[in-house]
Amino acid sequence: MAQLKQLVEYIAQSIVTHPDEVLVTEEENEHGRVFITLQVHPEDKGKVIGRQGRVAQSIRSLLRVAAVKNGVHANLDID
Amino acid sequence: MNSIQMTGKTVEDAIEIALRELDADQDEVEIDVVSRGKAGVFGIGSEPAKVVVTRIPDRVLVSDNEFADSDTEEATVSHGDVIESGRETINKLIDLMGIEVTSTLRRADNEDGGGPLFEIEGDDSGLLIGRRGETLRSFQFLVRFLVSQSMGERTNVSLDVEGYDDRRKQSLTNLAKRVSQRVVKTGRSIELEPMNARERRLVHMSLADNDGVYTESSGSGNDRKIVIFPS
Repeated sequence: MAQLKQLVEYIAQSIVTHPDEVLVTEEENEHGRVFITLQVHPEDKGKVIGRQGRVAQSIRSLLRVAAVKNGVHANLDID
Repeated sequence: MNSIQMTGKTVEDAIEIALRELDADQDEVEIDVVSRGKAGVFGIGSEPAKVVVTRIPDRVLVSDNEFADSDTEEATVSHGDVIESGRETINKLIDLMGIEVTSTLRRADNEDGGGPLFEIEGDDSGLLIGRRGETLRSFQFLVRFLVSQSMGERTNVSLDVEGYDDRRKQSLTNLAKRVSQRVVKTGRSIELEPMNARERRLVHMSLADNDGVYTESSGSGNDRKIVIFPS
């Protein structure tokens, strides 16, 4: 079983300088779409997005794989 | 991409291809000749020349670096640590994605500077490759990034899924050959589909010895592609 929230949490915590300020929330609507929101310390925002959005794009790629395994669609918002 | 290792028939050839790939002029880079290569007799015992070309970063680029916070001191990371950290990171991500695959270390060190190479196999390997290898590239990017973070310096780790990389290399080399034959026959240039830097390098190199054509990259970012011209 894929763990969408934990996946995003693990990646974010490994990247940031303030891992204890990583907050991931997960909400599912009635159409089976999962909305994941990632909040980090303001200083770490650039890190989880990365140059030209490369880090965020890669997290979304892996999240998509996990979502397929769960039979859902997933969205990732970085706050 | 700011540093590239390139091989060629001669040092000059290798530098030329590297500059083209980095889209840089000679005065913007630092060139490190790793090996001058050997001509050999009738191609026997010949060795390609090898260079490492690094773009000299300007100040803006340095402060924008994703690894800027890492240790700037001369830290020596042991090879075993990189393998261990790579294995751990890969397995953790596989576990969290919930996919049915296993990873094994295939080569402790990749000679082209790619670091240790892990091979991933299993029922969900197709899912992990994604469209045109996009997901695999993202996965590799994140593994490298995470391992680099934990090692405190930029570290290379390579991933391959059930020989996808080898198959892709083979099909790109074949494509380059086919298209170059058409270019020679028609005398008209042909543009290939967009490719990443590694794939472009492969095509450039596979046609470097072909006297009938020459290759150039055009476009920028994700849209950068190779054009094969008749010479």
